[in-house]
Amino acid sequence: METRGDVLISVRDLQKYYNKGAIRALDGISVDINRGDVMVVIGPSGSGKSTFLRSLNLLEHPTGGNIIFDGVDITKKKIKDAFGNWKKLDIDLHRQKMGMVFQHFNLFPHMTILDNITLAPIKVKGIKKEEAEELALKLLDRVGLKGRANDYPIQLSGGQKQRVAIVRALAMEPEVMLFDEPTSALDPEMVGEVLDVIKELAKDGMTMVVVTHEMGFAREVGNRVLFMADGKLLEQGTPEEVFEHPHNPRLQDFLSKVL
Amino acid sequence: MFTAAGFEKTFEYIQLFKEGLICTVALSLFTVIFGFIFALVLSTMRLSDIRPFRFLAIDKEGRELEDGFPAMLGRFNPISFIATVYVEVFRATPMLVQLFIMYYVVLADVQFPEIKILGFIRADRFIPGVVALSMNSAAYLSEIIRAGIQSIDGGQTEAARSLGLSQFETMRYIILPQAIKNILPPIANEFVTIIKESSICYTIGVQEIMYAVSATKGATYRIAEPLVVATVVYFCLTFPTSKIIAYCERRMRRGDKR
Repeated sequence: METRGDVLISVRDLQKYYNKGAIRALDGISVDINRGDVMVVIGPSGSGKSTFLRSLNLLEHPTGGNIIFDGVDITKKKIKDAFGNWKKLDIDLHRQKMGMVFQHFNLFPHMTILDNITLAPIKVKGIKKEEAEELALKLLDRVGLKGRANDYPIQLSGGQKQRVAIVRALAMEPEVMLFDEPTSALDPEMVGEVLDVIKELAKDGMTMVVVTHEMGFAREVGNRVLFMADGKLLEQGTPEEVFEHPHNPRLQDFLSKVL
Repeated sequence: MFTAAGFEKTFEYIQLFKEGLICTVALSLFTVIFGFIFALVLSTMRLSDIRPFRFLAIDKEGRELEDGFPAMLGRFNPISFIATVYVEVFRATPMLVQLFIMYYVVLADVQFPEIKILGFIRADRFIPGVVALSMNSAAYLSEIIRAGIQSIDGGQTEAARSLGLSQFETMRYIILPQAIKNILPPIANEFVTIIKESSICYTIGVQEIMYAVSATKGATYRIAEPLVVATVVYFCLTFPTSKIIAYCERRMRRGDKR
């Protein structure tokens, strides 16, 4: 499978150092994420996968390198506008276009499911309450949770919570979805229901970056697989190339342990 | 030590204790109200993100510097710094010293009106007492508020910010509604503490419960019995209050489990 569209996010030599470079969580990552890509990031724990993903919407601020999203370098504090004037970069504006799903769901416990989903569309995008609720219910219906709209997060199972978290991100109609180990905190019998939702999204052509330990899922759904270790991008390719013909010894070693 | 006659004499002055009780309650209520308002300001200052020298820490490419002196200057938040100094000073010095400085130094030249609140509380003593107690408890209350806000899981902020909510919107819609639940019980407990600490205001002549003890002692030459009465009055004030708070706390926690 070749890349499906034009470049959406261009990552250039991304670095994240702690203690003045003593710890290198990200050590020069460069990769282009194209529209329609389902990019799966795998690697041993502590390899910098999550840091990489969280850098994409600046939940972690990189020490060096550039992230060009929709033509704007979002790692800068100030950018030049169309008229060549310097202005402050409003990261909130760019984050709206990147949906993020967390390992621990992070639903807002004091709000109903419906309010969880409609909060950002109403407050950030300024959509009317009725419209936002209509969209939320439509999306909830897609993940089979329409009947739970007025429940509170604590009443849901882990798998249901994660499906709601996905819907919450989708309700902002993002250009790309970032998944940070979306099934790692789930009981085994609930992993499938969440992966099914992500698969559905992939089928619809949503651009996604998924950090996961689910190798079967990576193989089936991803069109590109990245292997990271020690903050470096060691190998990338189609699922077939990475899983069937791994070149890097670290990758071979990793696959022998997890497959 | 205690004699029946002593109690009899003390009870002749029970009116003083009644007035003292009213004065103590008024002192504590005013203190907790003004203290809380001031504490809100302090904790907002401490959690603020105002960095006037930030521009010094941005390089030519528009990126923020990580270390070096300009980066340190860029991170400096004077508003937060002032609030931190205030909180640390007021928590690290004795209440009595703060009260005396307020009464004998800061407010010494202020002319308070010669009114008597409720007919017996002298405003020129009462107001400095409230000011000193409020300023002291604000330091403690602001730490309670700050801790309550910071106790909310960082994932909540991350989720809100990743949806595009601004820092203010995240505070307003996500953090504060959850933090209030954690903050209210310790604030109510602080109220109980204030009831007890307000007894220190007797040293500047506020007519609260300890003042009644002192006045009774002067008139009857008895000290043990008036002290017993004072102890009972304080206990009857604080014990039910803390029990009511504990009850409300249990009710609120039940709500969490839904």
